[in-house]
Amino acid sequence: MLAQCNFLKSVPVGVRAFSSLNALRATPKKGTLKAGGNALQESKFEPLSEAQRAYLDRALRVNQAGELGANYIYQGQIFVLSRRHPELRPTLQHMWEQEVFHHDTFNALQIKHRVRPSLLTPFWKVGAVAMGAGTALISPEAAMACTEAVETVIGGHYNEQLRCLDSQFEQRKADGTSGVPEEVQSLTAKVKLFRDQELEHLDTAIKHDSRLAVPYMMITETIKGVCRLAIWGAERI
Amino acid sequence: MSIRLLKNSVSRRALLSTRLYHPNPIEYANSTVVAPLTYTMDSPQSRILTHCLQNEVPHWGFTERALLKSIQAVGYDSSMMSVLGASNSPSIFHSSPAVMELVKFNLVKKRHALTESLAAAGLGSPAALPSLEHLLVKRLQMDVPLSKQLGDLFTQLALPSQFMVNVAVPELFRLSDDMIYFSNEKDHFDTAWYSKRLGVSLAYTTSKLFMAQDNSLNCQDTIEFARDKLHRIMTLGEYYNNVEEYAWYSIMTTVNRAKAGFSRH
Repeated sequence: MLAQCNFLKSVPVGVRAFSSLNALRATPKKGTLKAGGNALQESKFEPLSEAQRAYLDRALRVNQAGELGANYIYQGQIFVLSRRHPELRPTLQHMWEQEVFHHDTFNALQIKHRVRPSLLTPFWKVGAVAMGAGTALISPEAAMACTEAVETVIGGHYNEQLRCLDSQFEQRKADGTSGVPEEVQSLTAKVKLFRDQELEHLDTAIKHDSRLAVPYMMITETIKGVCRLAIWGAERI
Repeated sequence: MSIRLLKNSVSRRALLSTRLYHPNPIEYANSTVVAPLTYTMDSPQSRILTHCLQNEVPHWGFTERALLKSIQAVGYDSSMMSVLGASNSPSIFHSSPAVMELVKFNLVKKRHALTESLAAAGLGSPAALPSLEHLLVKRLQMDVPLSKQLGDLFTQLALPSQFMVNVAVPELFRLSDDMIYFSNEKDHFDTAWYSKRLGVSLAYTTSKLFMAQDNSLNCQDTIEFARDKLHRIMTLGEYYNNVEEYAWYSIMTTVNRAKAGFSRH
């Protein structure tokens, strides 16, 4: 993933470096931004490259789909477990509320930044409810094993994103300085917070005997595989 | 120093609290080109193509003859024709690459002009933005001078080719996306995001087809047609939402009644 990130700044997408037509392509001349006139222009960052924009679009889309999935998984679990095991209700409710907040945050960011949502959104909804309710029907431990598997994959996914956001979005300004744009800083802070909360959910699941689920390995490894496949799909479709 | 801090805090608040455009104009310098064009608006290519759209296309249509006249009028050699078409691949079924560029320029420039002044207005509040209907009508009115050439334009755009896949369809999507984003229309985060854009694209395309055969003064009939079409599409969306809401309410009621019934036994 990190190796893929390293291309973000160096490869202009859609431009063949060897093309004889390259000379016709408009490129910012030296001092263009300064010539634009004022201190305000000088203090602005150079525009994001096409690859950087594509990465942000993809990151927001997959995060939105992932949080939608988490939201509906907890919804399915609560639907099944709240009557059979009311003692688990406050714990599940707390985790669900945090997922709803994450989902709402990425919904707002998707609209704000003109990112298309995943075309497979209805399938993510149905699949997530089925996953949450299905594991809860097996046992409360199986539901917690599901939470553990999902949060493990999501935590790793957020960590990969943070590495990329930290290393690939240092933008230059016309006055010669450089820095990370505030919208990227803001996104990084949100991803960090959500990553920490997801890992709290992982700890909560382990504390509630997720590892006693039978068959533990089969449940967790299958769900991890499904989550990785869903991440791959939501990034692209 | 304090003024700078104040400016920073104001822009930070604007950045984090209001509707923005990605990449946002508060933090980033303006791009030198309007994608997918590869030249600036003050380049020789833009000057020739703008002249052609304003003066020659209404008479000669989207043809090489129109381009040649503009190249001569702006003061360049006729070899400029090959420069104009440089970014398009030749196609044996299509017009020359230069004509393709003229068609592309027509679409991109008008789309950009439609929302150019709205970006700043939208930063303050979405309520300051115009309605979707206003933008649709405004875009249609931009093509009134070319109304007699629209049949030719449609042929160029709809001819199955690389140009249709790479330029015509993406431009139609960008236009409908811009019209929804830069209007006060509610946006969505599920499949309604796609269906709304599809509906607006449909309203725009059918209105343009209507305009190609419209003989009324200033294409007034087309404007009426577009308003009616958009209204019908939005009403269809409301019907769908109401049915979905009622179906969900019915499912929840049934489940709760069943649960209540089981708990009594």
